[in-house]
Amino acid sequence: VRSAECVIVGAGSAGLAAARTAARHGVRVVLIDERRELGGQGGDWVPSTARATAGGDRFGDAEEDKGHRLVEAVRTLGVGLRLGAVAWAVFDPRVVALATDSEAECIAADTLILATGAFDRPVPFPGWTLPGVMTAGAALRLMTADRVLPGRRVLIAGSGPLLLALAHQALRGGAEVAAVCEASPMRGAWRQAHRLVPHLDYVQQAHHYRRVIRDAGVPVLAGHVLRRALGESAVTGAVVSPCDGDWRPIGGAERHLDVDAVIAGYGFVSSTELARLAGCEHRYAPEVGDYVLVKTREMESTVPGLFIAGGGAGAAGSVVALEEGHVAGLAVAHRLGRIDARAYSREASRARGRLLHLAGLREVIDVMHRFGPGVYALAEDATLLCRCEEISTGEARAAIRDGATHVNEIKARTRIGMGRCQGRLCGPALAHAIAGASAIGVVEAGAFTPRPPVKPVSLGALANPVG
Amino acid sequence: MSGGDLRMTGGERRRIVQIAVDGQTVTAREGESVAAALIAAGHRVMRWTARGEPRGYFCGIGICRDCLVIADGQPDTRACMTPVREGLRVESPRGPSAPAERA
Repeated sequence: VRSAECVIVGAGSAGLAAARTAARHGVRVVLIDERRELGGQGGDWVPSTARATAGGDRFGDAEEDKGHRLVEAVRTLGVGLRLGAVAWAVFDPRVVALATDSEAECIAADTLILATGAFDRPVPFPGWTLPGVMTAGAALRLMTADRVLPGRRVLIAGSGPLLLALAHQALRGGAEVAAVCEASPMRGAWRQAHRLVPHLDYVQQAHHYRRVIRDAGVPVLAGHVLRRALGESAVTGAVVSPCDGDWRPIGGAERHLDVDAVIAGYGFVSSTELARLAGCEHRYAPEVGDYVLVKTREMESTVPGLFIAGGGAGAAGSVVALEEGHVAGLAVAHRLGRIDARAYSREASRARGRLLHLAGLREVIDVMHRFGPGVYALAEDATLLCRCEEISTGEARAAIRDGATHVNEIKARTRIGMGRCQGRLCGPALAHAIAGASAIGVVEAGAFTPRPPVKPVSLGALANPVG
Repeated sequence: MSGGDLRMTGGERRRIVQIAVDGQTVTAREGESVAAALIAAGHRVMRWTARGEPRGYFCGIGICRDCLVIADGQPDTRACMTPVREGLRVESPRGPSAPAERA
């Protein structure tokens, strides 16, 4: 077992910012990421909550510059890098187990920062496994990082400001956008207007997107939900219809759209499995429909010396992730005695001020696009709930009728959640299936117990330990 | 419907390379994801499941494992997480009941 003063899991915005800050203060840092390059899941991956100007590409370039500088700093500060390595477990109390394709390693950390990011809220609907259907995050990465369009004619559905950003990107890239389908009703949005006053840059950006979308003649359907994707071997069409304020589909005016790509994005949920495995406390936040880890303003979890930053601590965008990572890096440097209390509190309170400002915007967005659990009623009995093991929603519903009340119970009965995504894509839908069909609440229905390895690793790698 | 003209401007910085997809030569850009190269070439179906269902690029960040391909002989390679390099050979896994084998 090797040791390190600070181990950081995740080299996205939060992890990079934490590594830079800690290393600048002389902390010996080891940074782990599953990808082979630094930058995480895509730089622009989670919708930034504070976009600079309405300039489109100009803004993109500025962001990219900032990202490059951050990566450069981390490289020149002598941070120990473990790229192409999966952190598959955290053992008592801060020993991180990681594995590449061919080797395994354990590192005992004096301090540990989990910056494991977020992913699209998985929402099953008929046809959601068809090629051509992809999450908002997948579409964003495809267009921004790889500069490839998801299709020639695209439907963008779900909820949140990212939908407009995606439509804007797709239109600029030369695709047709058949419609933007926003599940939230957006009525009374003006009531939030005064709260947006301090966030003029954001408002301008959103306005610019709306103008481009309107000028292209793309219908923006508020209070509409994607009912199904159609096609044989890949998407050829989709059906949308009105939904209620809880995103529950209601009868009436179905629209059929011919499209070759469907982008579905209902907001983001945090990757918390490593933190939960380490014993960090979390609570369910119904307003965002996700589990949120409990932490102090130092970003420290309920496990001493274990810090949480970025999307893994509530999916809030890359700007927030950068600030949270910075605060966590400062807290680690302070904890290890590299900066005195005065310097720490001066720097940390500046960052907290910026975080407070950003939180104001996040709250408005969360109110306007409040999570609607009714969206889980989209799945029909034949709809696959578990994509990996190919198990239908109907099988889950049968288990619930037989009296199953917890997701782990249904996992044992049906194999739902035992596949290679390890329950990430089916867990929330299963909990909501239980809550929707019984008097049990979604919290009581539970979340799958995380078990090591939290991500697939090869036996060959585990058989080949280094250090 | 798909393919051919899905490239956006801005990717030109990357070197143009050739890869083989199920034995056919495809033009791709070095460093882009294999998934992006496949989509740009019109290959939305990346594998067939055990039940014979088609799957493609879905989560984009290595979680869902729908886009598993065989890359240079290495099975279970995530197309979304694997960068393109010159001469890469990509094959689509076919589950036991994939349509071509049923026929």
